[in-house]
Amino acid sequence: MTREKMNPTIEKILANIEKVMIGKRDVAELSLVALLAEGHVLLEDVPGVGKTMMVRALAKSVNANFRRIQFTPDLLPSDVTGVSIYNPKKMEFEFRPGPLMGNIILADEINRTSPKTQSALLEGMEEASVTIDGVTHKLHKPFFVMATQNPIEYEGTYPLPEAQLDRFLLKMKMGYPDLQEEVEVLNRAQKIPPIEDLHPVIDLDELRVLQQEMKDVYVDDTIKRYIVEIVNRTRGHGSVYLGASPRGSIALMKAAQAYAYMYDRDYIVPDDIQYLAPFVLSHRIILKSEAKFEGTSAEKVINQIVARVPVPVQRLVK
Amino acid sequence: MRKRDFPTLLLYVLSFLLLWEWLRPIEQLTDTDNIEVFILFLLVSLALSYLKLKWIWKFIIKSCYILIFLHHFYYEGSLFQFSWLSSFIANVVNNVGLLAARNWGDLSDEFRSFLFFILLWLMVYLIQYWLLRQQQIFIFFFMTLIYITVLDTFTNYEAKFSIVRTVVAGFTVMGMLAFYRILQREQVDSSPAFLKKWMVPLAGMIVFSVVVGIVSPKAAPIWPDPVPYLKAVKEGAGTTSGLGPHRIGYGTNDDRLGGPFIGDDSTVFLVEATGKHYWKVETKDIYTGKGWIPSGSTPIEFREGDFVPVYSIPGTVERLPETAKILPAETKHPLIVYPAGVQKLRDIKPVSPYEGLIQIDTTVERIKSFETEAYTVDFSVPKYKIEDLRKATGFNSREMGLKFYQRYTLLPKNLPPRIKQLTEEITKGKKNWFDKAQAVEDYFGRNDYTYDQKKVALPGKDIDYVDQFLFETKRGYCDNFSTSMAVMLRTIGIPTRWVKGFTGGEFMKYNLKDGTKRVYKVTNNNAHSWVEVFLPNQGWIPFEPTKGFTNEIRIDYGSNTSTSNTQRAEPAPVQKPKVPPKEDSKQTSAGEKGFDFKLVWLKWKFFFKANWKWFALSLTGLAALIGILYRIRGKWVPYLLLLHYRFKKNDETIGKAYLILLRQLERYGLKRQKNQTLRNYARYVDQFFSTREMTRLTSYYEQYLYHKDLPEGGWQETRELWENLIKRTIA
Repeated sequence: MTREKMNPTIEKILANIEKVMIGKRDVAELSLVALLAEGHVLLEDVPGVGKTMMVRALAKSVNANFRRIQFTPDLLPSDVTGVSIYNPKKMEFEFRPGPLMGNIILADEINRTSPKTQSALLEGMEEASVTIDGVTHKLHKPFFVMATQNPIEYEGTYPLPEAQLDRFLLKMKMGYPDLQEEVEVLNRAQKIPPIEDLHPVIDLDELRVLQQEMKDVYVDDTIKRYIVEIVNRTRGHGSVYLGASPRGSIALMKAAQAYAYMYDRDYIVPDDIQYLAPFVLSHRIILKSEAKFEGTSAEKVINQIVARVPVPVQRLVK
Repeated sequence: MRKRDFPTLLLYVLSFLLLWEWLRPIEQLTDTDNIEVFILFLLVSLALSYLKLKWIWKFIIKSCYILIFLHHFYYEGSLFQFSWLSSFIANVVNNVGLLAARNWGDLSDEFRSFLFFILLWLMVYLIQYWLLRQQQIFIFFFMTLIYITVLDTFTNYEAKFSIVRTVVAGFTVMGMLAFYRILQREQVDSSPAFLKKWMVPLAGMIVFSVVVGIVSPKAAPIWPDPVPYLKAVKEGAGTTSGLGPHRIGYGTNDDRLGGPFIGDDSTVFLVEATGKHYWKVETKDIYTGKGWIPSGSTPIEFREGDFVPVYSIPGTVERLPETAKILPAETKHPLIVYPAGVQKLRDIKPVSPYEGLIQIDTTVERIKSFETEAYTVDFSVPKYKIEDLRKATGFNSREMGLKFYQRYTLLPKNLPPRIKQLTEEITKGKKNWFDKAQAVEDYFGRNDYTYDQKKVALPGKDIDYVDQFLFETKRGYCDNFSTSMAVMLRTIGIPTRWVKGFTGGEFMKYNLKDGTKRVYKVTNNNAHSWVEVFLPNQGWIPFEPTKGFTNEIRIDYGSNTSTSNTQRAEPAPVQKPKVPPKEDSKQTSAGEKGFDFKLVWLKWKFFFKANWKWFALSLTGLAALIGILYRIRGKWVPYLLLLHYRFKKNDETIGKAYLILLRQLERYGLKRQKNQTLRNYARYVDQFFSTREMTRLTSYYEQYLYHKDLPEGGWQETRELWENLIKRTIA
């Protein structure tokens, strides 16, 4: 089985990331998909599997301004967005931008902080701007947030409300590397962290071009229908308490466009949808508690649904 | 819940039709009047349900409807006085008590109407439930069919078109509901194209089945009519009213004549007399268009041994005294029979408990029955002179009273005029009443009227009993003939009355004690009706229009002194002529419409009969050939496809060609799962054939399908791939 040909620029970025990340090509691909689609990613995994490394490598590869926010219970919204400070020399308030004023932001352990701070971040993600002391500050473009969440410890956490979860385009898990990969990780750890040696592959302007081009990927009506059918079925599924919204359909389409673009195609095929659906939809549905007790997960439900929706194999008859 | 769209409206209309079928027979078969009020109620209820008003509004509107009509039918005074309401409530309470006591017969009419309204209300609710919630109407449809067919079998309700209507409406509703059920289950949105795809075949199928059902010949029932059997189980002759096949016998209610009869040879009475006579029980004078009713009732009493107060034979007629002894089979309240010219009743045994007083209703000339084992009748046998009989040519107030004349020439206002026309035609050239009456009497014997007790129509709502018999069915028994003759003569102003009783019965033996007397047995089969014509100074002269019957009266023809009128072209006195029963009753009612179809069908049948072997053989051969071809389709279909697509140049061809390839691959055994993407499937196929052709072809097809932008000449390039793959599917 041969891998499909990729967009050369993206292939280069991925290769660059792979220099520091061992394995985890799929996570890198998905992160790029989110970046291209101007969306954000929620990573759900235990600490120490290389989340930070991933984001930093990505930021470096596209020559982006990388910021990291470690969310703690006492973090204030102004710690994220920035604050106006009185400058005695100029006799006026001066805005000191917070970490949100970067291009690629790692929001680590987002569920540890208070909802107030969470919503400051989420507002930024949604509006691409923040309002401080009545002044609206535009965020930089591109703006990409990779938030992480630790699924093990729930003590003292503020789980994100469902309404805010769907601000993230994709949600994924990192997972542990396999044996061979982990040995390789150790090998590299003996040397100096290779991340310092990483050189940018493209600059931000080129990234913006990619983001623009991605939008030209053609979405056929059959594909749109297929997307809607999948999303629609989440609403009637027996284990689902609340199905995905139309925003979910849009997200799935955008992600598929980016994914198709990544593979150098100017049209979407159902395979893209099938691959992306669990990542795009699983955090947009709420399971019934019975289903949770039975051990069903949102990913399983989405996979079930995808397995049930017939793939369109002929043109729509008008 | 469904919307207020056109299909829902259609569903409601169709279910209204189904419900209506339940109400249709009620008017015909029961004494329920004003059925349209109930139909309107159904309509209103369904409309309310369709409009989806709040339940409280529905409740108010329906209640008002019911109250208004109950008031209209059963109460006087203003609706808004409300005093009637309290009496209605009292009535309801009272009737509920009767219900609890299972005293069904005493329920008041308004309560029954009220219950009927409630029943309809429930039906509408059920319909709504079936239509909208369950989306299943089969049970109701099935029940409707059973209801109609049962009524058709056991009563005179003609359900022919009713069944067609029900089937059409029922199938349509079921088809539509099935469509919506599938839509709902599969979570598909209804689109007009979808709807068309479903509804057109549905309509086609219904039309087809109805046409086939109407055109195709119907086999005769393979089991006999169950009604006689059931009736035989439930013994009881005589007093059946005008509905359903009657058991033959004597009944007093004649306001609705018609319908089939079933024979019954249980004895009614024995007679000891010197000869055979017709035995009268009563006469009736008012024809209603459906049957006969008495104009009134005048009960008087007379003493045993007195002259019986009935119209007697005037003294101008020569009379011979006679006596007969009558022994009723049933001694409790038997019918008191007497012959024409009755004089006295005597020797009543046991002696009447009313001290020898006997009651008679002189309007109908019926003698009230009491417990009797035997009685003797003195009567006189008239001997008419033909010239006296021929004297009467018109109404003369000196000979009979105007009131009397009017009473016996009265006819319903809406009597079809063609009866009179026919009568005038028959009696053309005859001068006097007697000759005219004889002409009419003969008319039935000469023309194609058939005596039959079974296939006799019951006239519908707007059909005159006589008119139907004379011009349409021409098939019937004594009631048809006698009523027709009486009515016909009345149209030309001859006073007549309708007589009911028994024919002379069957000769059994000679009386041992009195050698001149013979014993006759009169059974229920001898129940009969005939006509009496009033001739001034001659009295009531009996006539016998019924085919196959004779009633002998003595007439002195002057020169050749014949003793009876049987010399007219009458057959020998046969009691029950055997009517050839091969004709279907269908023939009378099937209109001209069915005839053409029938003819075509017959022609077809003959052709088929002549060539059926050839047909069967070629059909089997054809079926076998098709079967074989289907079995080996893997061997030849691909070649056909290759040939077909070789000459296609259009790039769009790939769309069809690829789908055909998918089908061929599936036949070959490589089935694509519904959720399998084409890429995935192509990989699977390629793995199977160890090629890369399917993947390459698929990537073209993907562009065609998901991009709508196929590179020019795409089909030409990929045709080879396609052909190779098709070849691989050749078994």
